[in-house]
Amino acid sequence: MAAEFTDDIFFASIGELNARLKSKEFSAVELVRAFARRLEQLGPRYNALALPLTDVAIRRATDVDKELKRERYRGPLQGIPFGAKDLLSYAGHPTTWGARPYAAQVFDSSATVIDKLEKTGAVLVGKLAMVELAGGGGYRSAAASVFGPGLNPWDRTRWSGGSSSGSGSAVAAGLVPFAIGSETSGSILTPAAFCGITGLRPTYGLVSRHGAMALSWTMDKLGPMCRSAEDCGLVLAVIAGGDSNDPASAHKSFYYTPQYYRASKDLRIGYAPVDFAERAQPATRPAFEQALAAMRETGAKLIETRLPDLPYGALTSTIISAEGASVFEPLIQSGKVDELADPKQIAGLKAGLEISAHDYLKAMRIRTIVQQKIRRLFEDVDVLLAPSRFGPAPKISEPLDKHANDATPKDLGLSALIPASNLAGLPALSLPCGFADGLPVAIQLVGPAFSENQLLALGKDFQTRTDWHRKRPTVA
Amino acid sequence: MTRRELAAVLGSVTSIASVRAQEPPASQPEDLNTAAREQLRNNSETLSKFDLPMSTEPAFLFKA
Repeated sequence: MAAEFTDDIFFASIGELNARLKSKEFSAVELVRAFARRLEQLGPRYNALALPLTDVAIRRATDVDKELKRERYRGPLQGIPFGAKDLLSYAGHPTTWGARPYAAQVFDSSATVIDKLEKTGAVLVGKLAMVELAGGGGYRSAAASVFGPGLNPWDRTRWSGGSSSGSGSAVAAGLVPFAIGSETSGSILTPAAFCGITGLRPTYGLVSRHGAMALSWTMDKLGPMCRSAEDCGLVLAVIAGGDSNDPASAHKSFYYTPQYYRASKDLRIGYAPVDFAERAQPATRPAFEQALAAMRETGAKLIETRLPDLPYGALTSTIISAEGASVFEPLIQSGKVDELADPKQIAGLKAGLEISAHDYLKAMRIRTIVQQKIRRLFEDVDVLLAPSRFGPAPKISEPLDKHANDATPKDLGLSALIPASNLAGLPALSLPCGFADGLPVAIQLVGPAFSENQLLALGKDFQTRTDWHRKRPTVA
Repeated sequence: MTRRELAAVLGSVTSIASVRAQEPPASQPEDLNTAAREQLRNNSETLSKFDLPMSTEPAFLFKA
């Protein structure tokens, strides 16, 4: 009898799906076909789907079933469908980078992360939409994508976040069990927070970026977007590792072993009360208060702290603009940059070509100071904790910088944690922690370089005490 | 993927693109270009106020 696929399957964890595959409750082909069809049918509802790969996926799932029949097990991702942000190449198929000038671009080889996932038996069911060119020139509109604005499964009048928009909404809507996103400065954490899923930004260099669109060579990272911290660990264990094709590869391995890391009660967590009580939008504060209470329940010691006072915004903007303009110089010089959807992005990319060597070098030298000072900060705390975003997803009809000039507290707290931790190349984990006006809100944990297991251990503990990551939007 | 399949996929992607993307502006609004340059100038001024020891090297050999 054919298996019946209900929401309990579409919103199941990787571990649950793997167990049901092994117990032959359904085959890999049945599972992949169900997810691929759901992604094809519902993905456009959220502008999440860049390219369906149903036929290819079913062929690969057939091979997985043959292996499972021979009891040849390759790990927990075997037979699990997934989606990939459309900045990752997939051999022989279009890779648009979310941008009209690249709509017909096709590469001969696949990104290393996709190769690694396929080797372990995971099945790519579709490429997922993204903000054009990962938003490198700066953008003002949620519609800054060839696929239209990323729509949030919790409220389609709201943005799904960027730049990994489709990855966020596809996981949140149960269209894929997990997805791969990318972050230069906030592009995994933001859609994870807005869509109510768990997102992990790995340490710079831990995951190969070979086959991924470059925006900023010194800041780009790839990472998993999943239903839970546990799932992020399982996916990271597959995609991490050295790669001679990525010049920035740290040539480090990652084994998901949170049980061998410090218990939450032995951790010192640095946070800034001003972030939760004053900087966060009023509607989100009750959720953040609950999140802080849940963190205290773990036994961890919460210590007040703040980031060193450094020009994080100017540094991030200068470095990404300079490197991005260099990457996309042919697009800019050819005039095809004018085909992008967002006028602010067009202007930002053009202006980036005018950044002087002096300014870029100054920014990169100050970045060394950022790394040194944040390293020192971790002598007093083990993990930093802050809201992932200070408000829920904005309306797609509003400019994204609408709140840019709002009055903010003088105490900076950890408000610049996203740019600061990206400049320092540190890992971060975004965890759903409640709702405000019916929309998800989230906290982020940031740790020292290569502390992913520690972050995941704490995140897993948090998620055993809360159920926010299990909440599902009404999808259809 | 066959050439026919590729053509079909490319057709769907480009048609999505033409339907959904905002129409590109006929000419780049000068105020946005000015604002982008102004932003970079502000960044430059912010960075110039930051004193660095001569020994500080850029984060090129990046080790997280």
